[in-house]
Amino acid sequence: MSLLEVRDLHVWFDLGHDRELHAVQGVDLALDQGERVGLVGESGCGKTTTILAVMGLLPPNASVAGEVLLDGENVLRRGEETVVAHRWTDLAMVFQGAMNALNPVKTVGWQLREPMELHGVASGAKAAARARELLGLVGLPASAADRYPHEFSGGMRQRATIAMALACDPKVLLADEPTTALDVMVQAQILQLLVELTERLGLTLLLVTHDLPVVAQLCQRAAVMYAGAVAEVGPIDQLYHQPRHPYTRLLFAATPDIYGEDDVQWIRGAPPRLDRPIPGCPFQPRCDRAFEPCPTERPQLQVVGPAHHAACHLNDLDSEVQPSAGAGSRA
Amino acid sequence: MSAVLPETGLGAEGVGPRPSAAGFMRQLFRERPSALAGGMLLLLFLLVALLSKWIEPYPINAQVGPVFGPPSASHWLGLDDSGYDMTSLLIEGTKVSLIVGFAATLVSMVIGGGVGIAAGYFGGGVDTALMRVTDYFLVIPDIPLMIVLAALFGSSLFNIVLVIGIILWTGTARVVRAQVKSVRQRVYVERAASLGAGHLRLIVRHILPQVAPLLIANTVLTVAVAIFDETALSFLGLGDPTKVTWGSIIEHAFDRSAISVGAWWTLVPAGLCVSVLTIGCYLLGQAIEDTLNPRLKVAHLSTRGFRLRPLVGTGRQTL
Amino acid sequence: MRRSDYLIKRTGFAMATIFVAITLNFFLFRVLPGSAVTNIAHVPHASLQLQEALKHQFGLDRPIWVQYLRYLQQLAHGNLGISWADQQPVRTHLATNLANTVPMLTLGTVVAIVAGIATGVLAAWRRGRAADYGHTGVALLFYSFPTQWLGLMLLILLASYLPAGGMSDPFLIEAGFWQRVADTTRHMLLPSLTVALTLYGGYALIVRSSMLETLGEDYVLTARAKGLPAKVVVRRHALRNAMLPTVTLMALSLGSIVGGFILVEVVFSWPGIGRATYEAVVQRDYPMLQGTFLVLTVSVVVFNLLADLLYFRLDPRVSE
Repeated sequence: MSLLEVRDLHVWFDLGHDRELHAVQGVDLALDQGERVGLVGESGCGKTTTILAVMGLLPPNASVAGEVLLDGENVLRRGEETVVAHRWTDLAMVFQGAMNALNPVKTVGWQLREPMELHGVASGAKAAARARELLGLVGLPASAADRYPHEFSGGMRQRATIAMALACDPKVLLADEPTTALDVMVQAQILQLLVELTERLGLTLLLVTHDLPVVAQLCQRAAVMYAGAVAEVGPIDQLYHQPRHPYTRLLFAATPDIYGEDDVQWIRGAPPRLDRPIPGCPFQPRCDRAFEPCPTERPQLQVVGPAHHAACHLNDLDSEVQPSAGAGSRA
Repeated sequence: MSAVLPETGLGAEGVGPRPSAAGFMRQLFRERPSALAGGMLLLLFLLVALLSKWIEPYPINAQVGPVFGPPSASHWLGLDDSGYDMTSLLIEGTKVSLIVGFAATLVSMVIGGGVGIAAGYFGGGVDTALMRVTDYFLVIPDIPLMIVLAALFGSSLFNIVLVIGIILWTGTARVVRAQVKSVRQRVYVERAASLGAGHLRLIVRHILPQVAPLLIANTVLTVAVAIFDETALSFLGLGDPTKVTWGSIIEHAFDRSAISVGAWWTLVPAGLCVSVLTIGCYLLGQAIEDTLNPRLKVAHLSTRGFRLRPLVGTGRQTL
Repeated sequence: MRRSDYLIKRTGFAMATIFVAITLNFFLFRVLPGSAVTNIAHVPHASLQLQEALKHQFGLDRPIWVQYLRYLQQLAHGNLGISWADQQPVRTHLATNLANTVPMLTLGTVVAIVAGIATGVLAAWRRGRAADYGHTGVALLFYSFPTQWLGLMLLILLASYLPAGGMSDPFLIEAGFWQRVADTTRHMLLPSLTVALTLYGGYALIVRSSMLETLGEDYVLTARAKGLPAKVVVRRHALRNAMLPTVTLMALSLGSIVGGFILVEVVFSWPGIGRATYEAVVQRDYPMLQGTFLVLTVSVVVFNLLADLLYFRLDPRVSE
């Protein structure tokens, strides 16, 4: 059984004037213990909303349908009431530390100790000791505990955010763009840290990012989201070399090669509005392989390989018509 | 982490020059009913002030009824200690108070705007010097200084306007300077400068339009303060004795024992007028400011939680 | 810059401002045309002796910069001149007046701050609901009332229950200490209430605005994500941070507190520094007017500095 399973998750935001934004449209995910899974897509595709929904961190104008199963138990069963018990103890989030995720008027150590004391993990001197331990784990000096967030660089703040997320020994780490806004060298260090931590502590990681090289470095599997739904999900390798959704293919092709050898191909057009229902495939207007069923029939996720699913009508056809193996591959 | 506000599909605004004045006003009044309410209130007072000569039912300095006569059919707001009609006095007071308010605000806008633009645009030594002076005057309390100036220079309406205006400019200067500094950095201003446009042209053509909306919001809020300051000065005997303002009406009610006689009608309406005008200014001014700098953040915390809906269930297999 | 540099800088600024105020005080009353001090004829009932004494005291026959230095010298010795109304030292009057103003003003301001914070937080917490509109509306209403008018209205409404003016009952003789305290307190209630009502509205609006801003910050989401109950998040994370802009804005409103209590003291004939200012104006007692202006300005500058220090204490990021 998967450790964390998301089943048919829908999230709507009430926009007033009888309008609603259908931000997440039936997302399914499954994570086994110790796995590192990526959730990728353009800005606004609903990936952040999805992981926030997993922890129930949605604003009052949101409505949610679907299930989030942790060890088989639906934590969203009664909304905020049931999910709050799992916050930080089972599910912890690593926010973009470079931003304002840390309280500017409290010391880092205090912010690490706060959840420990709240959830009865440790208190007083024990909590302080554990905080220092965690800081060491993420590569920060023990003296960092007495400093304020503004005294640190972006990279160090990100490490502190990770340490804070580990405070209550969670089972699952949900990371929202943990390396965005960091420069490349620091990014690499943070990713390395995440790999080490997840392996050392047996953590499961769900990583949200729009940065494909990050996913490639860190994750074994990834789900590609578009317009609130999963377009394709499978092993990283497969997504790179055998994409079975035109969006995946174009997305990986749009990433510049560091040597400048490949041509950067931008995907023209923009994502669709989510405040009205979309007939057919949401990617169809921008798709270079759209054909007859696409504008009218919404494609469902179907098996296209071992642990590999894609939602595209092209997969209904014979193998000759599918995107060639050469597309989107790296030398 | 712009997590909570869904960015999907509704299109991000491009960064660039602001929309036109007409467009802005349409957006303002459509999105914020408070702006509409505030604007209507101000308009109402303006109309009364403009039409005062024609709508005053009685002359304002002739006895037309019994001393301290209570409100009646012929005198809706009663009469004061000299038998003057309160309704007429109030209308006249509206006119003069608004004149003082707007004139003083104009003075303050011109000085404050000028100082702010100069400081923000030229930067460096000019900025430091101007802001140093502004800071001193920001801290020195307004009303005592106004009292001293009014006591020394005498209390004609003109003087009152100057006194208030000279003291109110500091708030505007700070706000304008901040805005000018941010506008100054914008790409198209730099570009125009590099094409050899002179300072004045740059200021008038590029900076002023960007600063104007904030200046207007500030103006609206300043009018309310100016009118309040006038009532304070009048109350302390420093107003123009030959003119009728809301402040002078309140002062007369206090000074001429209207309270002990129980003639509440000589006091209540004038104060309510000031109050309603202030509320109108506040609503409109805040609405303009909020539209210019919208608070994009949604509260992450609220008494209500998110809602649950029944499963949608499209019959997909679990993975 | 290190943190201590901030303190030095702000203190220096405060002292410079006081100096500017002192200089302003001097020049307004001496130099500018129409300035009445130079015209001794304005002094009511001035005997020839008094005129000569005043001329000598003010050194009006000497060049301006000499007068200015003399003025500074006198100030340094605590000599603020002689009141033209009763020929008593200005300094003595000011001391008594200040002693009368302080308790009344403190009571009103403290109540206003507490009520303002409570209301602002509540309104922000229940944003968009009835409680928000209600509280914000009432706050806006009281914020909009002219202070003197509000005082008079309270006078009308409550005159039968509370003393209408003055600081003490003139018929209270041979009274014990506690009786006098009780009497003074009863007289203080209306003026303090007016001060409180006039100020709380503005404060509530400021706090509400700051809280709304803070509740949208990322660290509030982090706190919620940690599993903290809402009330704890509000108190420990949101409120603490919302206090920062609140302190700044409240400090900016010190000037309006001064305006407010001057009017209140006149309405209720409270013998404090506000009323002394008023009487000095009415009697054209310029030495007193100069004195009260100085005291008021210095007080505001000092409280501004205290607010800066408070902000410094609250915000670890301050270092510039």
